[in-house]
Amino acid sequence: MKLSSASYLVGQGMKSIWRNRMMSFASFCIILVSLLMVGISVLVTINLNRVIDGIEDQSEAAVTIKDDTTEEQRNELKKKIEQLPNVATVTFYSKDEAWQSMKEDLSDEQQDLFRYADDNPLPDTFRVTVKDIRIMSDTSMQISTFDYVDTVKSPTQFADVLVSIKNILMIIMTAVIAALIVVCLIIISNTTRASVFARRKEINIMKYVGATNTFIRVPFFIEGMVVGVFAAAAALLLTKFAYEGVYGIIKGDMSLLSILGIDNLYPFSKMALKVTAAYLVSGAFIGAVGTSISASKHLKV
Amino acid sequence: MVEFKDVSVTYSSGVDALNKVNLKIKDGDFAFVVGSSGAGKSTLIKLILKEINATSGTVIVNGFNLSRLRRGRIPALRRTIGVVFQDFRLIPTMTVYENVAFVLRVIDAPSKYIRSRVPYVISLVGLEDKTNNYPTELSGGEQQRVALARALVNDPKLIIADEPTGNIDPALSYEIVDLLRRINECGTTVLMVTHEHDLVRYFGGRIININKGSIAFDEVIGGAVDNEAQ
Repeated sequence: MKLSSASYLVGQGMKSIWRNRMMSFASFCIILVSLLMVGISVLVTINLNRVIDGIEDQSEAAVTIKDDTTEEQRNELKKKIEQLPNVATVTFYSKDEAWQSMKEDLSDEQQDLFRYADDNPLPDTFRVTVKDIRIMSDTSMQISTFDYVDTVKSPTQFADVLVSIKNILMIIMTAVIAALIVVCLIIISNTTRASVFARRKEINIMKYVGATNTFIRVPFFIEGMVVGVFAAAAALLLTKFAYEGVYGIIKGDMSLLSILGIDNLYPFSKMALKVTAAYLVSGAFIGAVGTSISASKHLKV
Repeated sequence: MVEFKDVSVTYSSGVDALNKVNLKIKDGDFAFVVGSSGAGKSTLIKLILKEINATSGTVIVNGFNLSRLRRGRIPALRRTIGVVFQDFRLIPTMTVYENVAFVLRVIDAPSKYIRSRVPYVISLVGLEDKTNNYPTELSGGEQQRVALARALVNDPKLIIADEPTGNIDPALSYEIVDLLRRINECGTTVLMVTHEHDLVRYFGGRIININKGSIAFDEVIGGAVDNEAQ
């Protein structure tokens, strides 16, 4: 196709947007709303996942070591635990440290109770963090079979909850995206029908003088794509404001901050490029595909 | 060249529109197709443009065997044919120039060619002064001349005029047919469907009369215009 024809077709697409401005605006709104809903839910999910990962990283199994274990045996055990594939870190936590920190946590009255206890009743422990929390219980089981290990306490139930939260989020996200895409395509196909109707005379003549089907469809394709790109740009701005607003609120609220950990939230600037690309591509895609599918249907070219 | 060999068309409603029609229109011919409404004239045109397919028989148009023509090749066929309609079918939002140029744009012609070809064709139909007018500002006869320019602009081998004078003043009808004859003299095959017998009698030439789906009459008769000239 020649350059002059290409620019002619682009011009036709633009004209058509203006000629059907009400319907173009409807498409614009529906793509905008869909992108916003999908975009914001994806952003929330990404951040929730990050928060959950943060919690996961903090959750550790406590491996208590039998009382009469020598230092040599202890080091041997540490090596064995470290060699397990799912183990991330192993930290030794001596009985003295444990005793000290326990005493700090107690009130004065409670401390009085222990004042005369010379013998430290607490065991030595390893604090073990894992790479994948989903198989933490398996890892705990393996550790518990090792020599010199007394007990292994791991927050497996908590881990299960985190994993199922992640899974549910995934399912909801997928459903939301699928539903929005279907709604988008239906509404855009109606818009295109109006656009086809407005141009039916031209299309009829185009067919008689031997225009190829592609030539007839391209303006509709461009019309949809341009509307999609504009909707994406608007959605991007709105998302930016909304995201930064919420980010600011969380940052300003110390109690929320301590729960979530601000390090676990992404600032918008960090994701701006990816969000922009995703919005533009999906906006243009939904617009263009939506119009061309229904254009071919209504044109019977 | 248009050739029909034993062509029959039966619509899905059960109506037999054409019944074993044999017809040959050679390059450079000028033929009137006449017949009462419902006789099968429109079916004939639809077959040539491959809007519909023959139920049986073979249709060959400008070297394309239409029963074997793939859908994707239909544009190539139609680029060799110019069509003029009874209701003009000009695009009201475009000027005369744009209406004519539109055809060339659609077939992906170079813009340089469009700029030289369009004014030339408009001058052929005598509408130089109306180049930048909109169709609504023109009379029926002028609008049909624009439609004729549009049919001519991509230099088709065959022009099909479907009742081109049906919507314009009788006096101007002669002007349109005269224009078609001049186009024909330059080598373009012209097939004109009409039911105005006065016009046919006046111009004469090859007359194809279709009646109830069959060709009832296909002969060359002398017209009044030729007698006047002698």
